[in-house]
Amino acid sequence: MPEPIVTLCGIRKQFGSVIANDDISLTINAGEVLALLGENGAGKSTLMKILYGFYSAEQGTTLLDGKPVSFASPRDAMAAGIGMVFQQFSLIPALTVLENLLAALPGAPWIQLRASARVHAALRWLSRLAPNIDPGKAVRALSVGERQLVELAKVLNLDARVVILDEPTSVLTPAETERLYGFIRTLAAEGKAVVLITHKLADVAACADRIVVMRGGRVVDAAAVGDRTPDALVEAMVGSGAVGTLRPPNSPASDVPLLQVRGVSADIEGRSVRNISFAVASGQIFGIAGVSGNGQFTLAEALAGLIPVSSGDVILDGVSIASRGRDGAIDQAVAYIPERPLDNAVVGELDLAFNLALREVRHLPFFPRRESIMRHAEALIARYNVRPPQPKLLASMLSGGNLQKLVIARELSGNAKLLIACYPTMGLDVLATQAVYREMFRQAADGACVVWISEELDDLQSYAHRIAVIHDGEIVGISRSQDADRQALGRWMAGHGREAA
Amino acid sequence: MNAVAGTRIIALIGGTAAFLIGASLFLVAIGRPPLLTLLQMVLYAFGDGYSLSESLVKATPILLCALAVILPARLGLITVGGEGQLYFGALTGTAVVISAPTAPMIVLLPAMLLAGAIGGAFWSSIAGLLRARCNVNETISTLLMNYVAVLLVSYAVYGAWKDPTSLGWPATIPFPKAATVPSAFGTRAHAGLVVGIIAAAVLHVAVSYTRWGIELKVLAGNRKVAAMAGFNFIRQTILVMAIGGALAGFAGICETSAIQGRLQGGISAGYGLTGFLVAWLSGQHFLRAIPVAILIGGLIAAGDALQLYSKIPSASATILQGLLFVAALGASGLAGRRNARYG
Repeated sequence: MPEPIVTLCGIRKQFGSVIANDDISLTINAGEVLALLGENGAGKSTLMKILYGFYSAEQGTTLLDGKPVSFASPRDAMAAGIGMVFQQFSLIPALTVLENLLAALPGAPWIQLRASARVHAALRWLSRLAPNIDPGKAVRALSVGERQLVELAKVLNLDARVVILDEPTSVLTPAETERLYGFIRTLAAEGKAVVLITHKLADVAACADRIVVMRGGRVVDAAAVGDRTPDALVEAMVGSGAVGTLRPPNSPASDVPLLQVRGVSADIEGRSVRNISFAVASGQIFGIAGVSGNGQFTLAEALAGLIPVSSGDVILDGVSIASRGRDGAIDQAVAYIPERPLDNAVVGELDLAFNLALREVRHLPFFPRRESIMRHAEALIARYNVRPPQPKLLASMLSGGNLQKLVIARELSGNAKLLIACYPTMGLDVLATQAVYREMFRQAADGACVVWISEELDDLQSYAHRIAVIHDGEIVGISRSQDADRQALGRWMAGHGREAA
Repeated sequence: MNAVAGTRIIALIGGTAAFLIGASLFLVAIGRPPLLTLLQMVLYAFGDGYSLSESLVKATPILLCALAVILPARLGLITVGGEGQLYFGALTGTAVVISAPTAPMIVLLPAMLLAGAIGGAFWSSIAGLLRARCNVNETISTLLMNYVAVLLVSYAVYGAWKDPTSLGWPATIPFPKAATVPSAFGTRAHAGLVVGIIAAAVLHVAVSYTRWGIELKVLAGNRKVAAMAGFNFIRQTILVMAIGGALAGFAGICETSAIQGRLQGGISAGYGLTGFLVAWLSGQHFLRAIPVAILIGGLIAAGDALQLYSKIPSASATILQGLLFVAALGASGLAGRRNARYG
């Protein structure tokens, strides 16, 4: 019989006019993985941040081991054994992994003594979680997935009994995700309580014991994992009848290539791509699969013309667009949804309206008319359901999923001939994902060629016309998606076999 | 919004109080009656027409040098090169006067002012170019180029440009009437201040309401996104540095022409650095720099007057100025922290 560590009763929290949590009660048990399931903005993170002492609730009580508690700050919560790993990490990029781990400990030492017991203790969890991360490496040099593991090690080092993970798999590769699932099960088996905030059913199926579904700030369903079908969970998350079926776009009428990529090689800080060649016809969706970090970013930047190519050429509708920057003629022809939108696609210090106007900003009059920019922004924000819908809000205030929607709204608002979309649905929930796919398909139907970089093999197979696999900076193979054999694609992703699938 | 305004008022009151306390302690320490002396300073700064005009004389180059800091700051650049740009502008402006001292005013005056502005722009763009092309830190390069410009002026006035009739005093020939910036109402306050105020207003409108302002914000905020939008960091870096340098260079030639009447060493009483501090005190805001520059100009003018009439060393004014900066920056810093916590 599981024993409750934490009990939340009647929690209520309001931000302005938005009720983020409305009378929420739930229990978190030792030795159990609780999945807190819901769409973006359902109030999952807010609820857990209240437990973690980051926000304070307006109403309701928190019981820890049966006694009422109230945490004024995350430090108090951590002292009581509650740890949380956020979507935005709190590691210091300039310090090494070990220094980050040491700095998180209470009474962090001013002087580091090598090989002391303290160092040993700091590395205890890291060596279990990720034995291949070098503790002397700067956090800056780690991949996003590795950073997440370090963050988790940091929390576990503080002897957390309750571990809260906020959308942990949205930044991980499939292999890293599998490892994390296994580790979450191990933590539960050791008697820790794990709360997994997620919107992915795969996460729930892989490692949860119990599910609490939230929608619009309320708990709408709570059950053991075995008691609910995936369809029932989706319906609980988004409301009944909200999910339509998605029709993959028709195959293009002609095979005449609109985009020709010829032997492109390029490099960003040592991450290079070599001799990439493919062609995409008007209306065609060309998927590029691969484990992230195999040159996708470099390839996308080279196709968008943002970095110079060292050899080869990119030809769009008869015009070379390689190495040109975005000057003049091509800027309206290419739409680009880069990975990590906060770093690569928005200006955090500008408001949403100007961020949405960036594609046309060079064509604005010298004294831009604010009203027309605002109207344009309001229309896009409503259409892509960016939350909160305030055009004057600074972009840095948006959550990851909403930033993604903002960038997609901007880039898909024109009539581009080439759309480059990198992980366009990362961090988005079911409904938003469908909306993005629908817009992407509409671009293709209007005659654009779409280069779609993704790790979601299922989606690529369902919706892309052709799939290429990139590994270590080279295209291992290209296959028509209806002929594609999952096994072969998987082998290509691992870098084996260059014969046809 | 209200919380921010409230915080600003608290910062203003707190900063003023901290300054008054610090200044009183200092004046007591040097054996002066604090309240009386401070009151005297206000009178020496703004008490009558003459005092006010002297304050405005000091405020003019300070304001122009502050603008030369604020504009690059909008692109995320920190320059401390106002002093060097001021000296180099004085040098190039003077070159025009020396090469054609008998030209009529309608030609000589605009040519001299333009040459001063171009000189400052040139001097500043070197640092801009180094930053944009080779990623050389603009703070260091502008700082070092200050020394070069100051010493170039010394070189000129001790050497080729020395006035042979000046009995060895290191200075150029006196500027002819045709090369003298007009002054107002028989005082030393000159047209440079008007130019400074107009420049501040124009720049404010330009960065707040134009496409160019958006371009600067995007470039300052995210260089990658700026590249996607088609903005050119190199061009804009050189442009803002050049405009800033032109203003400081203009200040230099005005100071030489209207105040000194000839080029000599020490034309600037640290106006470049003071301008940098004014830029920070005004929160990198073009319009707010105007009153702040006048206030600081008043403080400097009052220091000179104190030395003259009350026999207090003028260094005291510099010390009081330092106290003012520390109090103001400290107060606004604390206010910022308060905002971050409760805002």
